[in-house]
Amino acid sequence: MPEHNQFEEEEFVTEMNRDTVFRIFGLLKSHKWQVFAFMAAVASVAGIEAFMTFVMKLIIDEGVMVQDSARLNELIGVYTVAMVALALGVFTFIFFTASLGQHVTYDLRKKLFEHLQTLSLSYYSATPVGWIMSRVTSDSERIAELVSWGILDITWAIANIFMAFTFMMTINWQLTVMILPLVPILLYVAIWFRKRILIHYRDSRKFNSKITGQYNEMITGVRVIKALNREATSLQEFGDVSRDMYKSSYRAAWYSALFLPAVQILSAIVVGIIIYVGGVQLGDPVAGMTIGGITAFVNYITFIMWPIQDMARVYASMQHAVASAERSFSLLDTKADLVDKPNATDPGTIRGDIVFEDVTFYYDEKNPVLSDFSLSLKAGETVALVGHTGSGKSTLVNLICRFYEPVKGRILINGMDYTDMTIEAIQSRIGMVLQTPHLFSGTVLENIQYGRLDATREEVIEAAKMAGAHEFIENLEDGYDEAVGEGGSLLSVGQKQLISIARAILSKPEIFIMDEATSSVDTLTEALIQQGMDLLMQGRTSFIIAHRLSTIKSADRIVVLENGRIIEMGTHSELLRQHGHYYNLYTKQFRSQRSADYETEGSAPDVVQPA
Amino acid sequence: MSSFPQVAQTDLNFNVKETISHNRLKGLLRLLKGYRLQYAGAMVALAVMALLNTASLLLLRYLVDDVLVARPDNFTQALLFTAVAFVLLSAGRGIFAFFSGVLKASASEGIALRIKDYMFDHLQHLPFRYHDQQQTGELIQRATSDIDAIRRFYADQAIGIGRILLLFFVNFFALLALHWQLTLVSVIVVPVVLVMSLYFFRKVSAAYEERQKQDAIVSNVLQENLTGVRVVKAFARQPFEIDRFEEENTQLFKLGIRFMYMHATYWPVVDLLTGFQMIFAFFLGATLVISGDMTVGTYVSFTAMIGWIINPMRNLGRLIVQMSTGMVSYDRIAEVVAEDWEKLGIKDKSPKEDIEGHIIFKDVNFAYEHDMPVLHDINFEVQPGQTIALLGSTGSGKTSLMALLPRFYGYEGSITLDGIELTEYPRHFLRANIGIVEQEPFLFSRSIYENITYGVPGEVSKDDVIAAAKAAAVHDVIMTFPDAYETLVGERGVTLSGGQKQRIALARTLLKNPRILILDDATSSVDTQTESEIREALSRMMKQRTSFIIAHRIQSVMDADLILVLDKGRIVQHGTHEELMQVPGTYRQTYDMQARIEDELQEELQRAGA
Repeated sequence: MPEHNQFEEEEFVTEMNRDTVFRIFGLLKSHKWQVFAFMAAVASVAGIEAFMTFVMKLIIDEGVMVQDSARLNELIGVYTVAMVALALGVFTFIFFTASLGQHVTYDLRKKLFEHLQTLSLSYYSATPVGWIMSRVTSDSERIAELVSWGILDITWAIANIFMAFTFMMTINWQLTVMILPLVPILLYVAIWFRKRILIHYRDSRKFNSKITGQYNEMITGVRVIKALNREATSLQEFGDVSRDMYKSSYRAAWYSALFLPAVQILSAIVVGIIIYVGGVQLGDPVAGMTIGGITAFVNYITFIMWPIQDMARVYASMQHAVASAERSFSLLDTKADLVDKPNATDPGTIRGDIVFEDVTFYYDEKNPVLSDFSLSLKAGETVALVGHTGSGKSTLVNLICRFYEPVKGRILINGMDYTDMTIEAIQSRIGMVLQTPHLFSGTVLENIQYGRLDATREEVIEAAKMAGAHEFIENLEDGYDEAVGEGGSLLSVGQKQLISIARAILSKPEIFIMDEATSSVDTLTEALIQQGMDLLMQGRTSFIIAHRLSTIKSADRIVVLENGRIIEMGTHSELLRQHGHYYNLYTKQFRSQRSADYETEGSAPDVVQPA
Repeated sequence: MSSFPQVAQTDLNFNVKETISHNRLKGLLRLLKGYRLQYAGAMVALAVMALLNTASLLLLRYLVDDVLVARPDNFTQALLFTAVAFVLLSAGRGIFAFFSGVLKASASEGIALRIKDYMFDHLQHLPFRYHDQQQTGELIQRATSDIDAIRRFYADQAIGIGRILLLFFVNFFALLALHWQLTLVSVIVVPVVLVMSLYFFRKVSAAYEERQKQDAIVSNVLQENLTGVRVVKAFARQPFEIDRFEEENTQLFKLGIRFMYMHATYWPVVDLLTGFQMIFAFFLGATLVISGDMTVGTYVSFTAMIGWIINPMRNLGRLIVQMSTGMVSYDRIAEVVAEDWEKLGIKDKSPKEDIEGHIIFKDVNFAYEHDMPVLHDINFEVQPGQTIALLGSTGSGKTSLMALLPRFYGYEGSITLDGIELTEYPRHFLRANIGIVEQEPFLFSRSIYENITYGVPGEVSKDDVIAAAKAAAVHDVIMTFPDAYETLVGERGVTLSGGQKQRIALARTLLKNPRILILDDATSSVDTQTESEIREALSRMMKQRTSFIIAHRIQSVMDADLILVLDKGRIVQHGTHEELMQVPGTYRQTYDMQARIEDELQEELQRAGA
């Protein structure tokens, strides 16, 4: 499991982990030639640009100054060719860098997604969806940016500085040596500023997410704020945070505003030196300085200044990307804690008796959910699980589905320890209807088909008919091709449940599991759901986390759970006779459900005028 | 470096609404109010920078022509002078760059701050009716990213366009002065580049949008996979999910590539175009120098200035396109800001200092939307200290009726409190004196302590808080939480059950000690035993105040002084329990029904042989 100590987006790490960096570059293995292509292209661009500045020097010194038209034409020709080459270089590096970036994003997302499919449910219950999403979406993009544009920027910076110095050396090496110390100074200044800008920028981001949080809470809780007259205080509280954000944004901007001039003044001093020293040397045949040479030097200073200034930015985003990579890699390194044993088999069917043998289970050692739990079921039996929230009903179901495995004890299916079977052998033969049915955005047809992907339209309709869903589906504007919206949001809970029953019917499961909805659905839908369930339970071993009395009553066996233990077990009438927990639970449930039934049936047939 | 120039403290109550205009530019200009001088200062600083920049290019001309070529007698001195002048010019440029940066940041951040504050206050002052119709995500988007778009309008776009134009004009006039014929032929490409960049960035922003949409689709597939992980696993559909993701991910990849290839084409093409223009200028200029019509120094500074004119133009299109998205954000904000506030009347004097709680509803009608009446002809009277019960099925109008008392919504007809029409009371006053506990109460993600004290202004003693929690039968539960009263509510702290939430909300309302108490099915998720504890505590408190109870169970309403039975927005019956039991009607039906349930249960139990 990854360290979930902070789901808060930790934006930066201070140290760059070397292993992580190596691993990031490992991502480039299959794209080597692309990396070389863009590195070569951007290095040539730097070289050509430096060369063009040199040609400009020649134009001045050998064309303009000496009034040599032939030489001028020749040099302009060279300059033109260089420019076309430059454009080609620019095209090449954008082209390759961009496609590399897209490739790496694509690869990473694919890899992460595929890995996620192998992880066990325990991972999902311990990790917020938002956290995982950020790893797959923004982190993969940031990493890709580092290996594409990040590498490009660094190559460009180094090539630029190197080329500039090379040409400066050719023109006048003494002067070049004089201004060499400029580089470390500039670099130091750049890093000094970047650090400060980053600190405040980070703060501002933090405050910004706080602001969004406050907006969210204010809007969702606006009724309470109004009812309790909290407007003034809540604005005051908001004002504190928005002012904090203002301050940090302003400070970041303040340092940014100072950064550029600082670098510029530094380089201006160098330019001053060039003008003076170069000017003095002018005409000195040994030093060989020319007017063109001086202007070229002045230009080369910018060649050095920009990359250095830029490098600080690149470094910051590198840090950022390495932090992203650490998180993404931690996800990739998470091992599924449920894997098939090496000799696991697929028995071909999982019909048969199911036995829980002294099963102990906990999500967290301190709070055992099931301890020494034993229960045996005959093939084809329907068991209703009854009990309060937290009594262990859902855990039991999770264990049968092998979303989790017992910590101690065994679960036998048909006499065989189910951990000796493959997970797929079990899960592909289980049909499940959840309390809040999960549908995928797509059509009704696609959602039912999810139960068996190769099912024909006719088979889907057949399943829907059996589930009692056909009628309402036909009444939808586009029938089976109606889109259900994100998470099925365009359908009612009852309708979603009908579709998920149809989905389960289509998959022809050998074990059926249902978590009944607690929320009320209308009577007609309720009856349809009941009918679909009956159909599914026929001849299948079924576990029902039951809330409806009718379901409970019709079960072959009722298991009453409390704190992970079976406190009562038997048929409906057996249990009622005991006058125990089930009796209490049942009478309470009976009252509330019957009164709800009466209410939804539509009361007051004969309206009486006020007395 | 430790102290920053004094941050201009903006007024928390700046009225953005007054600045709103249908004319976006006018509205954006008005938003600058109070920052106009700063913003103008930033622009002026930019202009000075452009001038100094051109000055140093002209200094280059002087250096070449009058110093290096002419080699005057005081050569070294002149050289030193030029070098120093150059450094000074750069320093000047730096200083003004700094001023410009700081001024624009202070203005744009200040404006954004003001809108953020206003938006927050504005949203919490908009009437219930407005919030009923809005989606939270949509409002948050306007309050955050749209406001940020406005900030960028001032910080990047307007100022960036100003900078490019200033650079263009300053250098253009300098060029004209140096050699006007050459200048005119050297800028032919400028309009072409401008049009190209506009065209390109419009296209590229559309391509970007498309990619963003696809990005959202990919996120969606991912999210559905993650939230539906049980279904995926239960049907062993991992390969199918992988294919589905693959498809969308590939599409995203393609769109990303397309977007980037647009850049890969634009930049070299525009580079070539401007490059040829510059070569043309270099060549013509050089020819002029050779023919003696131009000095070398002029030539050197001329070529540099051409670059300063043409290169920034390549980005002008980007800024203009971005600015147009900023304008759309302005509209989206203006639309919200244009809504009218609910008048709270905080400073208004209430017609009565103390409420006794004598309430008369007379011919009251109410509708959330026109033509969809929710309440019809509501008439009843409540004496101070009475307990009123409202009974009726879901949607019968009980909650709507109660929402009228604190003036959450307006109404037709007349509701008087202590003989004075409700509308005469400031809303603020009414809400301070009316406490409501809802069926699904909203708690804030703060500590439990802060949640309970949320409705009480000023300091509250810990004892009072505990007393309120005890009355709401939630103290013992709170003490089992890791940090007791300091435990955070929500994701980062404890997840509370429905019943626990209800009880904390009840404690919150009890602590507020209102004159009128409304319990809207407030203990529906609380188990029977705890409920009777609560009822006992409440009955003591309800004696001194007018109380309304909304409930389903006859047991909970039997003891009320007056029972109102609602159906489809009308009071179909009213009276005490005894009175209502005398006449046939909904109340007796409900009573009978509940009795029937008991009978059925007995039958059922007998049948089971219990």
